[in-house]
Amino acid sequence: MPPGPRASRVPRPGRRAPRPRRYGEPRGHGVAPAPEEEEERAVRDRNLLQVQDHDQPILWKVQFNLGNSSRPSNQCRNSIQGKLLITDELGYVCERKDLLVNGCCDVSVPSTKQHCCDGCLSNGCCSAYEHCVSCCLQPSKQLLLERFLSRAAVAFQNLFMAVEDHFELCLAKCRTSSQSVQHENTYRDPVAKYCYGESPPELFPA
Amino acid sequence: MKLVNIWLLLLVVLLCGKKHLGDRLEKRSFEKAPCPGCSHLTLKVEFSSTVVEYADPVVPCNETRWSQKWQSSRPLRRASLSLGSGFWHATGRHSSRRLLRAIPRQVAQTLQADVLWQMGYTGANVRVAVFDTGLSEKHPHFKNVKERTNWTNERTLDDGLGHGTFVAGVIASMRECQGFAPDAELHIFRVFTNNQVSYTSWFLDAFNYAILKKIDVLNLSIGGPDFMDHPFVDKVWELTANNVIMVSAIGNDGPLYGTLNNPADQMDVIGVGGIDFEDNIARFSSRGMTTWELPGGYGRVKPDIVTYGAGVRGSGMKGGCRALSGTSVASPVVAGAVTLLVSTVQKRELVNPASMKQALIASARRLPGVNMFEQGHGKLDLLRAYQILNSYKPQASLSPSYIDLTECPYMWPYCSQPIYYGGMPTIVNVTILNGMGVTGRIVDKPEWQPYLPQNGDNIEVAFSYSSVLWPWSGYLAISISVTKKAASWEGIAQGHVMITVASPAEAESKNGAEQTSTVKLPIKVKIIPAPPRSKRILWDQYHNLRYPPGYFPRDNLRMKNDPLDWNGDHIHTNFRDMYQHLRSMGYFVEVLGSPFTCFDANQYGTLLMVDSEEEYFPEEVAKLRRDVDNGLSLIIFSDWYNTSVMRKVKFYDENTRQWWMPDTGGANIPALNELLSVWNMAFSDGLYEGDFTLASHDMYYASGCSIAKFPEDGVVITQTFKDQGLEVLKQETAVVENVPILGLYQIPAEGGGRIVLYGDSNCLDDSHRQKDCFWLLDALLQYTSYGVTPPSLSHSGHRQRPPSGAGLATPERMEGNHLHRYSKVLEARLGGPEPRALPACPHLSWAKPQPLNETAPSNLWKHQKLLSIDLDKVVLPNFRSNRPQVRPLSPGESGAWDIPGGIMPGRYNQEVGQTIPVFAFLGAMVVLAFFVVQINKAKSRPKRRKPRVKRPQLMQQVHPPKTPSV
Repeated sequence: MPPGPRASRVPRPGRRAPRPRRYGEPRGHGVAPAPEEEEERAVRDRNLLQVQDHDQPILWKVQFNLGNSSRPSNQCRNSIQGKLLITDELGYVCERKDLLVNGCCDVSVPSTKQHCCDGCLSNGCCSAYEHCVSCCLQPSKQLLLERFLSRAAVAFQNLFMAVEDHFELCLAKCRTSSQSVQHENTYRDPVAKYCYGESPPELFPA
Repeated sequence: MKLVNIWLLLLVVLLCGKKHLGDRLEKRSFEKAPCPGCSHLTLKVEFSSTVVEYADPVVPCNETRWSQKWQSSRPLRRASLSLGSGFWHATGRHSSRRLLRAIPRQVAQTLQADVLWQMGYTGANVRVAVFDTGLSEKHPHFKNVKERTNWTNERTLDDGLGHGTFVAGVIASMRECQGFAPDAELHIFRVFTNNQVSYTSWFLDAFNYAILKKIDVLNLSIGGPDFMDHPFVDKVWELTANNVIMVSAIGNDGPLYGTLNNPADQMDVIGVGGIDFEDNIARFSSRGMTTWELPGGYGRVKPDIVTYGAGVRGSGMKGGCRALSGTSVASPVVAGAVTLLVSTVQKRELVNPASMKQALIASARRLPGVNMFEQGHGKLDLLRAYQILNSYKPQASLSPSYIDLTECPYMWPYCSQPIYYGGMPTIVNVTILNGMGVTGRIVDKPEWQPYLPQNGDNIEVAFSYSSVLWPWSGYLAISISVTKKAASWEGIAQGHVMITVASPAEAESKNGAEQTSTVKLPIKVKIIPAPPRSKRILWDQYHNLRYPPGYFPRDNLRMKNDPLDWNGDHIHTNFRDMYQHLRSMGYFVEVLGSPFTCFDANQYGTLLMVDSEEEYFPEEVAKLRRDVDNGLSLIIFSDWYNTSVMRKVKFYDENTRQWWMPDTGGANIPALNELLSVWNMAFSDGLYEGDFTLASHDMYYASGCSIAKFPEDGVVITQTFKDQGLEVLKQETAVVENVPILGLYQIPAEGGGRIVLYGDSNCLDDSHRQKDCFWLLDALLQYTSYGVTPPSLSHSGHRQRPPSGAGLATPERMEGNHLHRYSKVLEARLGGPEPRALPACPHLSWAKPQPLNETAPSNLWKHQKLLSIDLDKVVLPNFRSNRPQVRPLSPGESGAWDIPGGIMPGRYNQEVGQTIPVFAFLGAMVVLAFFVVQINKAKSRPKRRKPRVKRPQLMQQVHPPKTPSV
């Protein structure tokens, strides 16, 4: 055999990489099922290979339109992570310095905007995470999100089963995910990579 | 494109079996020992570097799931970081004393976690996530598994490998081999398959779930070299920004430098290295600076801390305990300790990724004789970390917390070479940790305050730093240079840098007011008069390219299990031995991180170019020619470049699902030949390999090229080699005589420099080196610096007429290569890549000094590491000193000696009450008696070897050198 890495470069049976997951393909389980159930399901899935076993609609617990009144206090949850910007649960996006002690954006500052879609493309992908969340919180996006939950979100059951309301859904939906990458280690679109919409980011020409 | 392949390096000790260690080592890869009823100890180990056969090695037992199969088509990528170990067992039969010293320990008790347990802290209400190979449903060691999720394409949540179970056990096992935080909420994320496969995309989705679940501490006993996997790196930052404390293993690629793994090498992550129970850095622990910053900058200090990672006991897959080694083990030790620490803090809002790291590194115990690029801040000290954390005030701090370039060995390599006027500035890359907020900034600019009584005005400093400190961290790179007035001065200069960090107000502070924190960074340097030109060597870093991002193949083609050139090719990473050698010979070595147009050639005797993959700007070619005419000498250690071989070494990367074609050979010979053409020199596209003797030194030529063309009046040395190109391409063996490998040439013009070419760089490179050629480098430097042609070379029997170039092909650039994607020189154009515009040379703007009439304390290390916390004054609560004994493991006891039910305080043990210590005591007495008998027996036996051998001899065999003998 010749030397060099190539000598060992043929994928071997039993060590093959998993095939690429397609959008909407089921993957993983939600919260841990009981062991018997787990066993049973594993066997069944193996037998059913091609037939996707997700006829039953998932019972999402997401509550839209809790409205301002239902919030327990004048405290806001917000997007926590931002380097420069932050989005509160009312959909206001502001600079970090304009975040009030209660976690809400200071709406009296002119640069604070509600339901701001700056840098978001028509495919629902934005260049800033905070703008994606803010845009996603527009009441008009509810239909889109519900459609997403009913179709595509099956692939992300773990995640979206745990989401409780519109704000959490937007926080989770806008994050980069397995949908955001090509060849695993590069973004499909290195700029507009935060998506509230149904489709993954446009594939950026390599 | 880049790789994100992931494999597990799982080498595990099984505490069972009966065979002799020595017998098994010869086989190199071992069968799974039959376990039932076994009473003696053996180990099952497979080591990466032992497998060097050309043919795919036969794996003796396919059922042994631990074995790493090197036939994997995937190159080294993100891997799970544990090692086979347990060498102490091997010595058990030789002497009981050694056995006693090297027993696997209960790591939690060794780190005094029981003191915190007795205070009632057990990790309760802390959410800790284990990203690993899963965990079985009803494992007897765990009482609070909150959730298990699977992110792989296998339909199971269970651990089929044992790695994830072990890691979870170190963090939270409540019995037998106890973890640190038994009451913590365990969230098990299964991200590796039983076939040891994982993907970035699985991690991304799993990480998102961890954020949603508001995980507090997340352990990643995984790692790989691809720090340019942006989706992954960005996601780790995102987790940190969401207040998840990330703890990760630094890697098992030691003792080679330049082997830090991602994500542990990120400044927001707590990167953990491994030590043994005698406080030696574990051989496997990865080390050396981070390499993200090359070529222009300098790496950061990593790991952050070290802790026990060799022979640590943890949970077995179905129960029971076993010992495991690797930074995979060290990482959960810290993650478990962190989890426990979080549960001790009353004001939980003060705990964040920065404050936790600040507490860990400020409390760590420095190991003597070990430099900071191996041990970071030292060994984890759980109780001191507890003290610091519980008197913590939000603030910024620095890592390292002072810069003493005279302090050896801790500040190696800085301490290994004093600075002088005209030298390349010395760069120290300091990490800023900001416990005040996820974002922050440096207010105004850092200030440089030299101490006038201590000659601080003899140095100049310049800063570059993160414009925004995020997440919870940033960098402050300090370039230090000698002022002109100190050009012939010798002495120590001192001063300090002051920085003020500001973060937006937190909830409790006044609305609108920023929080600020001011930190002082003492600096101490040794200055000498500039050495003569002949003593100064310039190392070309700018033209070295490596993985990531592109596929730059190893220089030694036999190293197929580690096919990528990823160690940085820097004098302080994988050329460290060469650097140390040059220093010991009295040379001063500086690093050029910019194009050839950016250095003053009059300062240097020799420009050293080793294994260069980059292209050259036309301006560089012209400038170098002038420099050589004016007396600069050039030493080039080249490497192979053969387009047929390059096509042959392409491979399919399963994880990026695409073919990987090398973008250069071992070196970029077409580019080098353009650089050399003016002197009528060229390397060939030949590929040769073999042992030979030169000037009575044994040498090995590992995948090198030959000299195709050399001036008539030069000296050329030839050797007889195997044609490795033919071997690679056609599997045929042929011997070629008179292969020109070394050429020496004096520029005929008055005051002209000298040029030396050699066809193989492997003998200078620490990775996979078999025989060094530092003696040759010495001889060549004698020639380039002083014009002395070593007689051993000039009168060698191997001297031949220089080749004219006729009949020998010089390689063309490979059609369709993607070098331009990674090159700093080329850019894609219509009709093929072209050189870019020459970039401006780096310009440092020196900070305006604000001199102080102050004197620095003599010991910079002791200066306060964190504000408002004086460790000497914090008194621990009245700890009970009668902690349970940790019993040694004796042969034959195997996993059975653990006290059932454990010695953990808290709910679980309440019924057992006070009887446990009694049992423990009685147990300890029995074992003690056993060992007294054993020791007496051993004494009566004839001595087999010297009694004071520091390490078991077998350890050397079990840990083969990185450079296997072929």
